[in-house]
Amino acid sequence: MRKKLDKDYLISLFTSIFLAFCVGALIMLLCGYNPIDCYTQMFKGALGKSYSIGNTLEKAMVLALCGLAMCVAAQAGIFNVGGEGQLYMGALSAAVVGAYVKNVPAWVVVVLALLAAIVAGGLFAWIPGAMKVYWKVDEVITTIMLNSAAIFFCSYMAKGPLKTTERGIASGTRSIMKDALFSKLIPMSNLTTAIIYSAVVAFFIWYLMTRSSTGYEMKLTGNNERFAKYGGISSKKLMILGMVLSGAICGLCGMLEVFGLHKRFVTTISNEFYFDGMLVAMIMRYSPFGTILMSLFFAILNIGGQAMQLSAGISSEVIQIVQSIIIFFMAAEGGIRHALKEKAALRKARNEATRKEALQ
Amino acid sequence: MSTPQEILRFSHVSKQFPGTLANDDISLSIKKGEVFALVGENGAGKSTLMNLLYGLQDVTLGEIYIDGEKISAQHNPERAMEMGVSMVHQHFKLVPSFTVAQNILLGHEPKKGLSYDFAAARKTVQQLSETYGLEVNPDDEVQKLSIGLQQRVEILKALRIGAKVLILDEPTAVLTPQETDELFEVIRRIVRDNDMTVILITHRLPEVMQISDRVGVMKRGKLVSVLETASTSQREIASLMVGRDVIFDELRTEHPLGEERLVVTDLQALSDRSLPALNGVSFTVHAGEIVGVCGVEGNGQTELAECIMGVRPQTGGTVVLNGEDISRLTPREIRKKGVSFIPEDRMTTGADAKSSVEENLLLGKQRRKEFSLFGIHLRRRAVHAYADQLKEKFDIRTPSVEEKMSSLSGGNIQKVVIAREFSFETPVLIISQPTRGVDIGAIEFIHERIMQKRNEGAAILLISADLDELFRLSDRLITIYEGKITGAFKTEEITREEIGFYMTGAAHGEEKEAGENA
Amino acid sequence: MSEVFNLALFQQTIRAATPVILAALGCLMTQHVNITNIGIDGMMLIGAFFAVLGSFMCGSWAMGLLFAIILGVALGLFYYLLVIKFSSDEFIIGVALNLFAAGLTTFLLRTLPLFATGGKLASGSFKSPGIDPLPVIHIPLIKDIPILGELLSGYSLLVYVSWALILLCWYFIYRTPWGFHLRAAGEHPEALEASGKSPSRMKLSASVLCGILSCVAGAHLSLGYVTMFTENMTNSRGYVAFACVIFGRGNPPRVFLAALLFGFIDALGMNMQTYIPSDLTAMAPYLVTVVMMVAVVLWDRHKKARKAQVTAAKL
Repeated sequence: MRKKLDKDYLISLFTSIFLAFCVGALIMLLCGYNPIDCYTQMFKGALGKSYSIGNTLEKAMVLALCGLAMCVAAQAGIFNVGGEGQLYMGALSAAVVGAYVKNVPAWVVVVLALLAAIVAGGLFAWIPGAMKVYWKVDEVITTIMLNSAAIFFCSYMAKGPLKTTERGIASGTRSIMKDALFSKLIPMSNLTTAIIYSAVVAFFIWYLMTRSSTGYEMKLTGNNERFAKYGGISSKKLMILGMVLSGAICGLCGMLEVFGLHKRFVTTISNEFYFDGMLVAMIMRYSPFGTILMSLFFAILNIGGQAMQLSAGISSEVIQIVQSIIIFFMAAEGGIRHALKEKAALRKARNEATRKEALQ
Repeated sequence: MSTPQEILRFSHVSKQFPGTLANDDISLSIKKGEVFALVGENGAGKSTLMNLLYGLQDVTLGEIYIDGEKISAQHNPERAMEMGVSMVHQHFKLVPSFTVAQNILLGHEPKKGLSYDFAAARKTVQQLSETYGLEVNPDDEVQKLSIGLQQRVEILKALRIGAKVLILDEPTAVLTPQETDELFEVIRRIVRDNDMTVILITHRLPEVMQISDRVGVMKRGKLVSVLETASTSQREIASLMVGRDVIFDELRTEHPLGEERLVVTDLQALSDRSLPALNGVSFTVHAGEIVGVCGVEGNGQTELAECIMGVRPQTGGTVVLNGEDISRLTPREIRKKGVSFIPEDRMTTGADAKSSVEENLLLGKQRRKEFSLFGIHLRRRAVHAYADQLKEKFDIRTPSVEEKMSSLSGGNIQKVVIAREFSFETPVLIISQPTRGVDIGAIEFIHERIMQKRNEGAAILLISADLDELFRLSDRLITIYEGKITGAFKTEEITREEIGFYMTGAAHGEEKEAGENA
Repeated sequence: MSEVFNLALFQQTIRAATPVILAALGCLMTQHVNITNIGIDGMMLIGAFFAVLGSFMCGSWAMGLLFAIILGVALGLFYYLLVIKFSSDEFIIGVALNLFAAGLTTFLLRTLPLFATGGKLASGSFKSPGIDPLPVIHIPLIKDIPILGELLSGYSLLVYVSWALILLCWYFIYRTPWGFHLRAAGEHPEALEASGKSPSRMKLSASVLCGILSCVAGAHLSLGYVTMFTENMTNSRGYVAFACVIFGRGNPPRVFLAALLFGFIDALGMNMQTYIPSDLTAMAPYLVTVVMMVAVVLWDRHKKARKAQVTAAKL
């Protein structure tokens, strides 16, 4: 079973990244910044110190989880653009469990919070998934709408019924049980034992997608639903499974952020993290392994971008522009290559033709 | 150079596609007022040659002259039409939601100011239809018309611009024998009265003999021969097409009939457009027999197969397999009970172009012990070995079973589908259009396989648009018309002409009696 | 209840609906040529930004509008190049376009010295008396009629333009040869091509029109609805516009009604803020959009089933 990421694709990928960096450099130059300096600051900021490596790894973990969530749904042919909302719902549920479950050992709280987040995220993904599968309601729009709805809902909960009484926190829930918090792996950084949970999930998703019978069935469903159905695969169930798994991963990601980083639910728990992860998955063509690797690279850009803003003074959004240009190139990659190939073939045919004529 | 009667001339024309030479140094002259048939296997380059003439693709090398005028490098359909060349495609190029008039005048709409002048459009089309004696209602929405009528709209579209040359791409593939006769009548009339030239792309040799004046045979991009129809035979044309003598021998041998396997009673179902597609279909298939379903496409055959397989909900009646009612089961359960299915459209429902050959071959067995550990872990090495084995057995031509399906030719894709479905060892097979668009060599192979299955005792329901295929393979034939069975016959006891009579509903009165026979 | 259901509610409805209408008209152009454009939101955002830039730089709303239109043409061409020429995935391009728009506008807002106030670069939003807003139109005669005058008169210029555009789009799509070519390019491109017209040229026109209309929608947002630019100020309105197009099946008047419904819910929510927390009222338009998407599908099913029953009864 052939890998989708062949050599040509990787060449395109590196070319795209290179070109996107060039465009970024051009923008920096136009705005009066020294691109070499900016990029140096960026890489330093992401990888220069042990705590910055920790931050980068944590960011990569979030991107990879979100990306894998996109992959697993896409494998079954369903597009989950609603991961952001599912992440919020998962984070809120986990925070509630963490704050309100008392008089049990810490590990029980962690397990319960994990379950709560998975169920919340999964259920919230099930709604648009079921609507897509049973009623054929376009899932792209419904999931985006549900994102906004979920974020406002969580914001309402955090500012209203579940608001903490602690001072200085305008929109956040009560802090969770201290003993249940994940412990830091690198001091001063965001990296916690959450990454172990993520690694387990990532391995599970990779296995499911590439090595299992269910993954095979999902893939055929995603490629060609009618074919799968005619061949005796319960395609509807698999599509919903893909969507619910996707939502569950997003929910879990929210839980990890609460227990690892924020210690409570706050309304700024995610800043469109899911969209970044989703795009990583897209440019790696929903290959789980590729998504994990690419998440590392995008995490470097993200964390490094913030550091660059602090040290070089340039707004970190320039990195967002660079990222989107990479995506534009990668989406058009097939078309551009095709155009180049066709041109070459035409030229070849013409050359041969003239040679033939010359011989005659 | 140009003789007075010559209308078209191809001079050393070649067309290069990335990787293939679709047309290889073709020279051909076509005379005014003749019906010229262009025959060849799929992929022989017939359609490409016509696309070059019509400007859908650019010529790589060589020249084409239309009425003495050389086509330019910027040749396109619009230019072709101005020069008097029109084309009716196999897949109609009609916008379903537009009316007949709007379709015929697409791209040449009459205007009143900025607006579309609907009244003028209607009038133009009415006049056109009267001039050529092709009756249509300008205000009908095209998606509500029968296939025959849609083709008529296509021909009118071509005639509208005063074409001198009309190219018809496989025009009879979707028509009833009666509609085919009508079409030929129209062709004869426009050739006679309007001095038209007609080029017919086809693979149906009897029709070539019936309608054409000359016939050109293409093979692997080359024009191998041009013959006067009156002085050749079907056998000669066929052997030129494949480069060897194809002998369609009798395949069927006497074989004892087994017990009842598949009993369909009063089956009813709706089409995709929620219209009644099956109106009480009943028949039985026994072990060791092939029952052929004859009918013009669109009379419920597609829905019949889908209903039996459970992919389309039925609105009434029962399907009984080995004495057990399977009417309400899912496709998965039905397959488990022992029915295999070769769907009519191999590219959307029979195979998945984006997956590899081995993935396509595995479908349905992905949870079997030999390929899956505890039904969870896919044993990829075992799958690979198994796929290689099927590749040998079914002569699937591909460098590796890891290749994408989309890189295979039509015939090989069909072999993959057949390899997969025939290896289930199921007692019942539903086979739909097994050789559509498949080259002659592969047809022979596929036919032999189907016959072998029957001799091994399988009960086979064969749905096909190809009467030759049905007559060659079937033990019994049933005819279907507008979702009803109109006749049931032993193959030896019926002629093609009579079958055509039942397929078209002409024998409606005898339907009841026929139903009892089934 | 008069605090909730009053004239201001209906005025607010129209104001809130207008950017969605304009964007939806853009979206329906691409929808008719069978391109699913979910990058509308990003196009709107870029339009909103450059409208403010133009208006502030030149001190004239007309220049602001012109800037938005120029950017619209550029975005339309860019979109066409990627989606049609290089046949990229529409979905990926749409999402990437939205990301790009957010990055670009935020970056420029925070980087351009033009927006700096008191030596400090702008961040978050930009508001200045130097931005020339779109003119408010008071229709002569009508403005003096009591209720009707208040209801129909006194809106920003683009509100009236959007009403005219609805009719214009309907006319062009369903009553001119151009519209037939456009729809043919979406429904059956080969048919159009065989008749000698180029489907990709129709797709090009649709992309460019979509770009222009979306950017004009953005201009209305930042120069008409409010007079400022805020980061990510579109608030998913581009997606709402998309949903309206689906709901209205690409027919401009029906799309208009869908947009009005959205505007009404939005306005109602704002009026209810005294009774219900704003976060909850803010959810309403998005939930209504989801309900709209479901309703249109279920309605279709219902109609199909009815039709089948009728034909079955006939037989």
